[in-house]
Amino acid sequence: MLRLTDYEQEMLNGKYGKLKECALKKIVEYANALNAEELAEVTMAHIFCGNHGYLNVMKSDNVEEIISQMQYCSDELLPQEKFLAYAQSDCGPIDTINYSKMGVTNEEARKNQEFLEYYKKQGANIVGTCVPYMCGFIPLAGEHYVSSESHAVTLMNSLWSACGNSDGLEAGFWSAVCGRTPKWGNHIKENRKGTHVFNILCDIESSMDWDLLGYTIGRKLPTHSIPVINGLTTRPNIFNIKYFFAAMATTSGPEMCHIVGISPEAPDLETALGGKEPVSTINIRACDLQESFEILNINENKNDTKIDYISMGCPHYSIEELRQIANLLDGKKISNNTVLHIWTAPPIKYTADSCGYTETIENSGAIVLTGTCPLTSGKMPENTKTVAFDSAKQAHYIKPNKNVEVYYGSIEKCINSAIKGIWEV
Amino acid sequence: MGIRIYGRSAFRGIARGKALVSRETIQGWSGIDEETGIIVEIGHPFEGLCITGSILIISGGKGSNGWSCHFHAAKISGKCPAGMVFPKMDSRTGVAAVVTGVPVVTDLEEDVFDIVKTGDYVEVNGDEGYIEIIDKEGE
Repeated sequence: MLRLTDYEQEMLNGKYGKLKECALKKIVEYANALNAEELAEVTMAHIFCGNHGYLNVMKSDNVEEIISQMQYCSDELLPQEKFLAYAQSDCGPIDTINYSKMGVTNEEARKNQEFLEYYKKQGANIVGTCVPYMCGFIPLAGEHYVSSESHAVTLMNSLWSACGNSDGLEAGFWSAVCGRTPKWGNHIKENRKGTHVFNILCDIESSMDWDLLGYTIGRKLPTHSIPVINGLTTRPNIFNIKYFFAAMATTSGPEMCHIVGISPEAPDLETALGGKEPVSTINIRACDLQESFEILNINENKNDTKIDYISMGCPHYSIEELRQIANLLDGKKISNNTVLHIWTAPPIKYTADSCGYTETIENSGAIVLTGTCPLTSGKMPENTKTVAFDSAKQAHYIKPNKNVEVYYGSIEKCINSAIKGIWEV
Repeated sequence: MGIRIYGRSAFRGIARGKALVSRETIQGWSGIDEETGIIVEIGHPFEGLCITGSILIISGGKGSNGWSCHFHAAKISGKCPAGMVFPKMDSRTGVAAVVTGVPVVTDLEEDVFDIVKTGDYVEVNGDEGYIEIIDKEGE
């Protein structure tokens, strides 16, 4: 049975406003679905703001109506109360400044802005990135947060012991408004112990190795289990890790992943497992990564092919990755056959502009864009028949939805292919 | 009375429909088409099938945190399942239960995947917390 504090009961009775009442009512239903016994105080919320594709089902132009229904399940229009938690926006459906470069009309941009203004009035920081932890959203160890970005949850839980679940978009808004989430799952320390050990028997070095390792572990990870990564011969950096968790959270639903020797809750294998025997131990070899690579590159076309579009920067590139891309493209020209998009967070692009990286990249003919990606926007350049990514997440998700051939490869392969205009298989 | 599997109610209400059963999870993003209710996840046992009006019995959610929103959008389009059964809840399915508002049963006493098969006509009783097979497929 769920127990509420006096304050929570007052909020549920409407004392602090209609929106908070409505949001808390949903959190209570959610807590009951999970069989949670109490609520946790949420201090930070990373929320999915903007006129996203899934909202089209409303067939409405009224932002208030769409938000009331799709975020709070209310037929009634709800008031615009302030968020109680610190709120920061996740990716939107467009680059809010250079939208025309991704084929978005002024009207679509105006509509999206209406949504963003709505959330700004509620106190959200409109940052617009899936790497919130690189742009001011850093819940500390033991701090309860919500995030609409799957890999960000795994990363913030696993790398610095913050507490979040993969709740979903609506629950993010509920928690932002009422400052509560069910105290369940990763919000309770005892639930965070590893269950499955993955012994890594091959060298994992490049970002693509980490991407493929995440995709592979996700394929082998049973539902509702917590992986422990053991036996690494090299230490990852933060840039590797974002590929790793993004890919893992594509083929499975991990909210926590212990990396022995790196995660604070996993100084050694025994601690990661909470002193228990693992449910199972799985060995990962180079052939398993190769298998993932082949799954990501399943295409009818087995020959070298003209590549129409290459998209890089999922999860959004950090400033260091943009520096590396600038170095790879310095003095080079992208083929006329190929459109190359490089995605990052708006605050990171500001830095890249002042460092000169944007200029170097764009002098090659590539375009630096922010705040979204092909997957979140649902957009690719017109007449794209062949597309390549350096991200397993994009390659995996784009496949079912678009009638295109999808290719996957390393950062270097993507850049070289953009220069040649040809993807060599 | 048909075979009953007892569990716990995760969301209230009673619904009947044909079961769609898979031990595999399903992805929300690029997993279901919210305008048609058709499952589009490549290689999923349900690929090409429609969730509309079904009793969806799967082990949980996976992939993007944008999981519940696709079921929510399917609900608005009139294309969501009539009821859902998850042997164990997780945060993705918990929110999906609330936003679709359909009867959901969980924490089952027996292995539902051994007992209920795709095509069986079943009742999800989210008021009392059980699932009952009304008609076995092909019988």
